[in-house]
Amino acid sequence: MAAPQPFTESEIRLLCALLRHKVKFMVVGLSAATLQGAPVVTQDVDLWFEKLGDPIIARALQEVGAAYVPPSHLNPPMLAGPGAELFDIVLRMDGLGTFADEARNCIRIPLGRHRLKVLRLDRILASKRAANRPKDQLAIPVLEDALAVTQASRARQKRAQRTRRASQK
Amino acid sequence: MKRHGTTHQDSAAHARRWARRLSARVEKVLVAHPHADPDNVRHTLILLEQPPLERLRRSLTRGRAATLHRK
Repeated sequence: MAAPQPFTESEIRLLCALLRHKVKFMVVGLSAATLQGAPVVTQDVDLWFEKLGDPIIARALQEVGAAYVPPSHLNPPMLAGPGAELFDIVLRMDGLGTFADEARNCIRIPLGRHRLKVLRLDRILASKRAANRPKDQLAIPVLEDALAVTQASRARQKRAQRTRRASQK
Repeated sequence: MKRHGTTHQDSAAHARRWARRLSARVEKVLVAHPHADPDNVRHTLILLEQPPLERLRRSLTRGRAATLHRK
């Protein structure tokens, strides 16, 4: 039996529609941190769009019966419709470069035939440090520890690769 | 007792080996990062054994459960 996915079918349809239309967006926040191994819990998936007003976003969402709802007096901008409840729109990322700068160094997670851009763990930490809200202050030490572990794991993998290559010569 | 071609004893021995390897890796990380929290280190190492989408699934499941407990 295949392991259950984090996304429902309608959530996957929504993400794939955005990816198919080449909408420039990436997963940020704690959901991006969990994708990279940080042991934090989250209730939603934050999406950072390069240009929220881009008509291509509306076209992609329309294809799956969803819509972009611009901000109003009481509500932040949001996605509405099937599969949209899980996703939150992030308007600005404190402490980071432009979307294009961060996208160049992001990681990519396979999602069906597409690859989902995810903000790198060290950059998530930089944004949390810059925002420094009470909820960020709780997450920062866990993200710091997770970053130390992922960097150590990467160094370990590189050492193992070097050893394998040396033994093949 | 046989289960899928292995015995419970085999699987318990496998689990113990995995736990020993995990402890050794936690210790190694803590030597390099003495201020890191051992629980965070252990949980991260465990999560890194899972595919990224499975890590997110667990996080969302626990996040939702925590919300339900608060209600």
